[in-house]
Amino acid sequence: MTHHNPLECIIPPYVVEKVAQNGTPAQKEWARRTILQSAQIRGQRQAVADMTQRGQRMAAPARDCTVFDCGTGTDLPGTRVRGEGDPACNDPNLPDIDEAFDGATLTYDFYKDIYGRNSIDGQGLPLVSSVNFGINYENAFWDGTQMAYGRGHEALPPAERLFNRFTIDLSVIGHELTHGVVQYEAGLVYFQQAGALNESFADVFGSLVRQYKLNQTAAEADWIIGKGLFSSNINGVGIRSMKEPGTAYNDPLIGKDPQPGHMNDYVNTSQDQGGVHINSGIPNHAFYVVSRELGGKAWEKAGKIWYVALCDKLTRVSQFTDAARLTHEAAGELYGKGSLEQKAVETGWKEVGLPVSASEGDKVDLSGCTRLVGGLAVLLLGLVGKRALTRKK
Amino acid sequence: MRIEFERSGGFANIRVAGAVDTESLPPQEAQALSDLVNKLDFFALPSVIPSVTGGADRFQYTLTVEDEGRRHTVELPESAATGDFANLIGSLTALARRGS
Ligand SMILES: [Zn+2]
Ligand SMILES: [Zn+2]
Repeated sequence: MTHHNPLECIIPPYVVEKVAQNGTPAQKEWARRTILQSAQIRGQRQAVADMTQRGQRMAAPARDCTVFDCGTGTDLPGTRVRGEGDPACNDPNLPDIDEAFDGATLTYDFYKDIYGRNSIDGQGLPLVSSVNFGINYENAFWDGTQMAYGRGHEALPPAERLFNRFTIDLSVIGHELTHGVVQYEAGLVYFQQAGALNESFADVFGSLVRQYKLNQTAAEADWIIGKGLFSSNINGVGIRSMKEPGTAYNDPLIGKDPQPGHMNDYVNTSQDQGGVHINSGIPNHAFYVVSRELGGKAWEKAGKIWYVALCDKLTRVSQFTDAARLTHEAAGELYGKGSLEQKAVETGWKEVGLPVSASEGDKVDLSGCTRLVGGLAVLLLGLVGKRALTRKK
Repeated sequence: MRIEFERSGGFANIRVAGAVDTESLPPQEAQALSDLVNKLDFFALPSVIPSVTGGADRFQYTLTVEDEGRRHTVELPESAATGDFANLIGSLTALARRGS
């Protein structure tokens, strides 16, 4: 599923980026090699913010989104129906083709413009989306290489419909595409707490893509995931609520939204890969609280902290307490120890019953990265020379 | 023959579950179901069939069959639910919906 390296701790790439911009020629060369090395070792990890320029320098491939139609079959990807530069279908009977295309391009642009990330793998991977998957298929998924969307029950008589098409809300498309990003970054195993974190990152960035499109502040956003997925036969606004987990739907046909928003209500279950779509409510709500505390546009600070933690700190097996500690650590590195941003992260995790103590947040795991940290120390002392460079190869 | 069926997971994680006694079905439907169970050699299957493809938001199925004093449960991912499994799960999903 992923080709992740056990070496999980490196010098924060934004530090390396700074050196690449402001260092002496030898330092710049060190930074260049480090960037290349981390790209090779760690697959596709990226720094934040100033990566756009680097992407241009390296002439990375441009956005490449394509939509396929499965014709209610289950063979992927199906028949190509729309790609970059093609006109919109504008077919009221097939809205999912344009929705999947626009959603993928908007999500690509969001990652590129806000975090300097070039596609799912950071290296311009073509984005493949298939619509009209399966018969009355009430789901959307990421299969490890592409996105797929069912049309829900839109082909059934209105009275029998529970689900609309799964392309109906941009947050679903942002969610599926983010599963790809998670696969290439932390690589969180899709089981129990690591899986719930995988789910939560997908919800966080799925919600942020829609907030970005609508230019909403954290206070203005609805924080609903899968808005409008239920037909009018169901009493529910969407599938999940990051603002109030457990309140998205309540209906005699399908039951009540089972998401907890606090560790006291953590659900132990063998269903759903150990409750990955259930317990994700806990980290989801932590992110919402951080965004609420910081105010403004949630993708700018809260989203950046979560993105850096996902790319540079979390591992395949991270648990909720790791996510709390590592987002706290990322906030300290990005905005300073004891900064308002770092305090907001503390408030967020505390509200869901996962308090991060200040001392715990400062702990740095040095295992596996001594060489790189050593390299940084040498660099900061201004002693970097050809010998250090060859050693770093 | 009695078959219990449960689906969890997927983006929306809406549980679908049901149980069917083939004796309560029209003979043709009952025969089709037990043919599928036999073709799968259900009682010889491992209790957990692992996912080979990875990915996220796919369904997870749990099937239990009781027949002639035997009882066996198999848990499998959607990615493994192809061929006769797909046909069996399709029939059971339709029955579960009808029953709910
Ligand atoms: Zn709260
Ligand atoms: Zn998901």
